[in-house]
Amino acid sequence: MQLGAAALAAAATAGLLTQIGRGGSDKVQIGNGSVSALAQAARPADSLPQSVLDYPFAERNFASANGGGSRLLQVQGSLRLYGVPGREGMLCLVEVDTAAETAGGACADRSVLRTGSIYMADRREDGSRLVVGLVGDGHTYGEANGRRATVENNSFVLNHVDGGDFTVGSATASQHVDIGG
Amino acid sequence: MRLRFQRRRAVAVAVTAALALTLASAAGAGSYIYWWQRNMTPSDRGTDSLTARNHIYNELYFGPNAGWKSEVWEVTPAGYRHFDKWCAGNCFNAHPGYYYTYAYCANRDGSTHFVYECKDQW
Repeated sequence: MQLGAAALAAAATAGLLTQIGRGGSDKVQIGNGSVSALAQAARPADSLPQSVLDYPFAERNFASANGGGSRLLQVQGSLRLYGVPGREGMLCLVEVDTAAETAGGACADRSVLRTGSIYMADRREDGSRLVVGLVGDGHTYGEANGRRATVENNSFVLNHVDGGDFTVGSATASQHVDIGG
Repeated sequence: MRLRFQRRRAVAVAVTAALALTLASAAGAGSYIYWWQRNMTPSDRGTDSLTARNHIYNELYFGPNAGWKSEVWEVTPAGYRHFDKWCAGNCFNAHPGYYYTYAYCANRDGSTHFVYECKDQW
């Protein structure tokens, strides 16, 4: 009997250690990483600009060379945010600023969306940052420096962020994201 | 007869000028892989500091299924930092060629990761 209890305890301990070793994260999880904005019916405005498709980044990261499946997530002034299906389980966030003639992109494994965001943070001349993010279903806001931006089509925009972190969350949970720098 | 010759000469000059501009533009463009298939610790900085160039593109590529923090940025010979972008995962930054700069990339995760390449264009 005692031998059985010991074996059970050992098995439970081994299972716990395995989970920790595989990254059994203590981070708060929101949703399952799905992005419903990418499942919406396609519109002409969803197509990525040809200039973005011509960058080496597109060929290596996007699921298809023509950016198939991309969706325009949000427009703020001259800034446009696109969500793009990526290769091998990745999802991509692409930003295009037509006034500044700039473009950028970040691609990461979809699992990142369970515990945070696929984001880009651009340093401005005044030292602050423009932070844009892609979040999974269930997230409702992005927040930095006490200012909160509503999630629209799985994306958010935070202007004039001071410091190296931001928060994304839902009505019941929040996740801290360390940008660094 | 003389007018016809002048017109042909004008067309030939225009075609030659257009061809020269096209070739000059193509000759001036370039790209460079400045970090190639190596492990990169958080303190490592990949850099294309061979020559300051009028950069228009900078990219870090971990590979597929990446999710770690990354940074690409550029620095002028005078030490001014421009086009500084931090990302989750693979990252690129494209912009007009405002400055002559050196290009940099870095893994900004807390541990070492394999980086397939960092690449710049000008």
